[in-house]
Amino acid sequence: MSNKNVKVKEYIIKSAADFFAPIGLILGIYIILHGHLSPGGGFQGGVIVASAAVLIYLGYGYETATNTLKPNLLKKSEAIGALMYSFFALLGIFYAANFCRNVFYNVGNPGDLFSSGTIFLMNFAVGYKVLTGVGFLILLMFGLLANKEA
Amino acid sequence: MKKFFTYFALTVFLIIGCYTAIEMSKLSPTFNGEKVNVVELYNNPSKYENNDADGVANLMVKQTIDKTHAINAVTAIVFDFRGYDTLGESFVLFTAISGTVVILRNAMKGRAD
Repeated sequence: MSNKNVKVKEYIIKSAADFFAPIGLILGIYIILHGHLSPGGGFQGGVIVASAAVLIYLGYGYETATNTLKPNLLKKSEAIGALMYSFFALLGIFYAANFCRNVFYNVGNPGDLFSSGTIFLMNFAVGYKVLTGVGFLILLMFGLLANKEA
Repeated sequence: MKKFFTYFALTVFLIIGCYTAIEMSKLSPTFNGEKVNVVELYNNPSKYENNDADGVANLMVKQTIDKTHAINAVTAIVFDFRGYDTLGESFVLFTAISGTVVILRNAMKGRAD
């Protein structure tokens, strides 16, 4: 892009980003929420959601990506995800069992979305933490790239 | 005074650790490999009889749905049986991102070096 002689048609990248960013978001959130039913889990789904940040950067540039995703908010949300995991692990102590104990695992039938107790909640906490953390990391590195180009 | 408390706490941890190690060595082992026929397992691993497995393998493979009600056995192991492992893993990621923020702090403010 630094070469002025080559004019890149940005419409192709922009329309590809428009097409693939919602698919990535929905697929990532599906994988996070169905971690206890289908292959995948918190880590993998979080990274898929964070790839939407890359698509927004490629299509619309660094300014739009930071205006859309708010890096300072993402940095705080990652700490909230870590605290959520610790809280769900501490639920075992509140229910008079040991740490990381699955205390209310027999709430739903096996195969339901809201079943398996703290596994579902911990899965969501790890997915939230990974999607905010990796998204923040990607935006930070793209910020360095944008400063070098300017 | 501060140094005294540090060494006192470390000594208490060391004593508790030694006591725990001595008490654990007296317990019976959960899996000592007595029933495993190594020659048979090496020759034809697909036909090996493993119905009478004991210890953690039996618990994790056969009783996953009874104990956790989760269909995906990998998620059940990662988030339930080995919850400490996932806690450490997620805090490793947290530490890595904190280190990146410290190194690339200037990029956040819009200043190139």
